[in-house]
Amino acid sequence: MTISAAARPTERIQRSPVGRYRHSLWLLTKRDLHVRYATNALGYVWSILDPLLMAGIYFLVFTVIFHRGGITEEPYIVFLLSGMLPWTWFNGAVSDFTRAYSRDAKLIRSVAIPRTIWINRIVLSKGIEYLFSLPVLAFFVIVTGAQVHWQLALMPLALLIQAVLLIGLGLLVAPLVMFFRDLERVVRLLLRLLFYVSAVLYPATAVPKDFPIFKVFSDLNPLVGLFGIYHSAFFPNDLHWDLVLSSAIGSVIFLIIGWLVYSRTIRSVLKEM
Amino acid sequence: MTTSTTTGTMIEATDVGIRFKRNRSSRRSFKDLFSSRQRRSKPDEFWALRNVSFAVPAGEAVGVVGRNGQGKSTLLKLVAGVILPDEGTVEVKAGTAPLIEITGGFVDDLSVRDNVYLTAGLHGMSKAEIDERFDDITGFADIGNFLDTPYKHLSSGMKVRIAFAVITQLDEPILIVDEVLAVGDRMFREKCYKRIEEMLSQGRTMFFVSHNEKEIRRFCTRGLYLNDHGLALDSDIDSVLARYNIDYGA
Repeated sequence: MTISAAARPTERIQRSPVGRYRHSLWLLTKRDLHVRYATNALGYVWSILDPLLMAGIYFLVFTVIFHRGGITEEPYIVFLLSGMLPWTWFNGAVSDFTRAYSRDAKLIRSVAIPRTIWINRIVLSKGIEYLFSLPVLAFFVIVTGAQVHWQLALMPLALLIQAVLLIGLGLLVAPLVMFFRDLERVVRLLLRLLFYVSAVLYPATAVPKDFPIFKVFSDLNPLVGLFGIYHSAFFPNDLHWDLVLSSAIGSVIFLIIGWLVYSRTIRSVLKEM
Repeated sequence: MTTSTTTGTMIEATDVGIRFKRNRSSRRSFKDLFSSRQRRSKPDEFWALRNVSFAVPAGEAVGVVGRNGQGKSTLLKLVAGVILPDEGTVEVKAGTAPLIEITGGFVDDLSVRDNVYLTAGLHGMSKAEIDERFDDITGFADIGNFLDTPYKHLSSGMKVRIAFAVITQLDEPILIVDEVLAVGDRMFREKCYKRIEEMLSQGRTMFFVSHNEKEIRRFCTRGLYLNDHGLALDSDIDSVLARYNIDYGA
């Protein structure tokens, strides 16, 4: 049986699977950003208000009240923001992973696109929000007259490590939450803990050597080396290549674990939809 | 390559089986989740479908018949690729336009216009293609001047109309229909019927699930009768409906 060619007047451009993947990923990312920025008047302001407020609070608490025990980074507000903004990306993405499948359940039940898109679009849209928030950092750098160093050129490396780490965590967390609802709360608690132990507010060297559990955890925590790169654009002493290496290896390990969990559970996830 | 040159077998299911948990709230363990999918069924699981094999050639309209809970919608979802089989394979050799939960992709807070671009795009249309068909889509849905209204403010009838219009403009060679025609007023339903008939006459392949015998007879030439979680009969639509009526005396 054949179909007459005349029946189908418009010739469609056939996309390769990769092209189709990118097309769908970009559409959903744009949708996320559109909903976020266009549906409320203060769209952009909201996305930077949270890290800005938190940085303001830490600045107040640590410099005015505690007089910064030993942390000499100056200007401290630039140090805080250069860590807080990528942390907002990390934090926002990981908390959204817990709803990656449930939030778009109806769409997942009706459109057959590769299921990793639901995770990657969170990584991408939160990453773009991070890039959009960088002018705020630039503003504080100019106002405080902070020095910019060549390590700023390492930004793409930091973005890459963070993206790999986030994709791995997403592949791990998003499917498991469908079976263990409690995981959503666990993730939220872990995120809060991680924030304080991941050298966002202080340089990695501030972790005391006479506190072995913390020290070992800090050396293995992929976030520590990562935030070191972000800080080093303004505070070059915070760049430690051994920590960066540990961070890169850790991120790849998470990606592998994530992929194993994802590929073994996705069938069951779809049945739960 | 254009999709219009696609001929031969469009949908091929080989020994398809899928199992579900009988009791969704039952406790799950990590071990359970990661165990091999080839293992034997556990007592709290059942096979929603098993040993189902069939092939649909290009241009054929197939209706799936069976009582509630015999796996009709599951089979349809397997063909649409939104769930994956535990056994066997489902091969779909061309793009599909799935009329399943058609309003699912629409975002409440976005305008109708944005939603049309989003949904059509997710189903694989490029921006230029949507531009070209935009008037056809909104014209078919009879949506008037609500184009820039947030989707959530549309009436439920309008929501279904715009969703139907988008999916049927997809120009994919395979149409998958899951009882969506039960919605909308009679006039719009008739319009949908006409649109589906038009698409079939253009040589599209259709996979159709319905409880409505009249609808099935109107569109389909071949039937698949699902009974007891398996394929009981694969034949022309009249024999399939006759057998179904003997079994369950409609």
